[in-house]
Amino acid sequence: MNDYGSGTQAVVLVLFSTLVTLTLLMCVMAGPDRDDLTNFYTGYRSLTPFRNGLAIAGDYISAATVLSTTGIIALAGYDGYVLAVSTALSLVLLMFLLAEPLRNAGSFTMGDVLARNMSGRSVRIASCVVTLAATLPFLVVQLSGAGSLLTFILGMSHESGARTACIALVGSLMIIYAAIGGMRGTALVQMIKIVFLLGTSVTVAALVLNRFDWSPGAVLRAAERGSGTGPAFLQQGLQLGTSASQRLDFASLQMTVILGAACLPHITMRLYSARDVPAVRRSMSWAVGTVTTFCLTVIIMGTGAAALVGSQYITAADAHGRTSVLMLSRALGGGAGTVSTTVLYAAVAGTVFITLLSSVAGMTLAAASSLAHDLFAHALRRGQAAPRTEMTVAAWTSVMVGTVAILLSVLVRDWDVAVLTTLAICIGASAVAPALTYSLFWRGFTRTGLLAALYGGTASALVLMVFSKAVSGTPSAVFPDADFDWFPLQSTGLVSIPFGYLAGWLGSRLDHRRRAAESRENRRLYEESEARLLAAAE
Amino acid sequence: MTHPHDNRYPPASPDWTQPRPAPHDGAPRRESYGRDPWQGSYGQGVPQDPYGQGVPQDTAYGSPAQGVPPYDAYGQAPRRSPHARDAHAHGADLADLRSAYKVLRRVSTLTALGSFVVYVVLSCWAPGLMGSQIAGELSLGMALGVLQLLVTFAAVFWYGRSARHSVDPLALAVRERTVRPGRDAGVAG
Repeated sequence: MNDYGSGTQAVVLVLFSTLVTLTLLMCVMAGPDRDDLTNFYTGYRSLTPFRNGLAIAGDYISAATVLSTTGIIALAGYDGYVLAVSTALSLVLLMFLLAEPLRNAGSFTMGDVLARNMSGRSVRIASCVVTLAATLPFLVVQLSGAGSLLTFILGMSHESGARTACIALVGSLMIIYAAIGGMRGTALVQMIKIVFLLGTSVTVAALVLNRFDWSPGAVLRAAERGSGTGPAFLQQGLQLGTSASQRLDFASLQMTVILGAACLPHITMRLYSARDVPAVRRSMSWAVGTVTTFCLTVIIMGTGAAALVGSQYITAADAHGRTSVLMLSRALGGGAGTVSTTVLYAAVAGTVFITLLSSVAGMTLAAASSLAHDLFAHALRRGQAAPRTEMTVAAWTSVMVGTVAILLSVLVRDWDVAVLTTLAICIGASAVAPALTYSLFWRGFTRTGLLAALYGGTASALVLMVFSKAVSGTPSAVFPDADFDWFPLQSTGLVSIPFGYLAGWLGSRLDHRRRAAESRENRRLYEESEARLLAAAE
Repeated sequence: MTHPHDNRYPPASPDWTQPRPAPHDGAPRRESYGRDPWQGSYGQGVPQDPYGQGVPQDTAYGSPAQGVPPYDAYGQAPRRSPHARDAHAHGADLADLRSAYKVLRRVSTLTALGSFVVYVVLSCWAPGLMGSQIAGELSLGMALGVLQLLVTFAAVFWYGRSARHSVDPLALAVRERTVRPGRDAGVAG
């Protein structure tokens, strides 16, 4: 794979350093004052809806989305198309269902939303635990992927030492962005990233179509040939199989993505920084528009990768096809060593790099904010912490979360941990989604119900995932040689989402019976705060 | 930059809520009113002091309510008397807003989620139908997938427009009312 001459590598390296310098500079300049919480967590709510929308889209389109979705489309065709649609629609659902009440209910973190009517530290602790459970797997999978990706891009040898160094480099940068930049700094990085990403992906998609004289039929025919699967490329079933249970598995995965992908804490956190309800609506409109455009280009890029690169080369480089975008950009250029190839490859590599950096920084910030705000300021100090202390703690928890994520990523760098993405989305759909929908729309929701939904949903997703086919028992699993897969699906949503909702409902019913006074008090508080929830009336 | 339609509904005018969205269905609306924070004083003190929570104009308004079942009077003619506004407009506005949001939310969410569920189910269990080629290599399934993405733009635009029309004016009214000191001191913040 390293037949691309030192000229290209040099250009890529220069581009990387420029990007890093530029974004670091912006982070430092946009960084918050040392003792202003609102500034650190929300950036004074000063972003315009357009910019906030770009930042939401930037947070939403993680490196995992860019690379894995393209790879799945390139290798599995139709299954990948459905995944692209569900990814886009998940954000639409967030906009239609949760965004506006969430903006009104929350101030900094998910714990603020969930604990607004329920006193007690258990709620804060639970929301912090679930935030960590949802963001850490996502962080680890992207960081450990960053190792192999950067060695691939820079043409280094693919050994463990080089990958560890890459993981440490990306990890340290992400810590710096999160700790110094805060919400405003990372928003700027996300904006640069999304502009870059949209620019390159639209260019690459246009080049693909141009190569086939703008005829979709020709692209699809070539993709069918290149994938080596023929007409099956355009039918459901290449990703997981076509037996009854495998089809059920596929449907379950898509439902999990549409319900869970958008309510992960690092995305909902961006909503709190909108100025008012019309602003959050316009932000979400921009975000959905951006993400949908991107998903359309991903469909074209993935199909183009299957058509122009061919699946045997893609799987040879990475079993999940995560390098297919990069290989496509090489195939699109005029040939090795030419200026167009160098420019295109460098642009795509730079996009991948900044996407990786920004998405891990956003997740680190979400996890660190939850630790500092929910666990430290509210659970430990009972809301009495001075803003300045909380800011310091937030900076240090960024370092902590980042270090833990780097260590975990280095530990698992030789395993195939793509399953962690699924795990994070499953936790989002089975714990975060039930807790948020109940808390915002059901006045009978009580503390036991909330804790049951959060812990129950997370635990069921975790346990089922460990014993699923994605972890053991199949050749593509994390432990292909072990065999403890009694849960016969690849993703847990089919069981764990209903379980999360049921747990929340049963817990609340239990409270209505056992602790009637407290649940009446919850109901009263909900009704009192309804004007604020629906109309932002303070 | 913000919603221009607000200006068409001056919140101080008593008429702007007239084209209220129809309640989604009767039962939850009534039920939610039943749990309204003002319900306690309303239900218990009907004959003598229907508005025990310190409403100034009770002498003017007290007599017509005498002997009338409170829920019916409220539910059927919520805005008959201009004097009732100060006392109950907040609760009524909030109920209007709640049901407007409910309609908007249900319609938009169920449409988006429903279309996708149908799409996935058809993809999985009717592969023949979705694989049928409609134009060259383009199969029905692919076309529907891309179509959903394209329709998303229209759906987002539609949502923004309907929210500006149905929800925003009501939300503005609720906000204006709660600004009054004393009423919701506990809620603020």
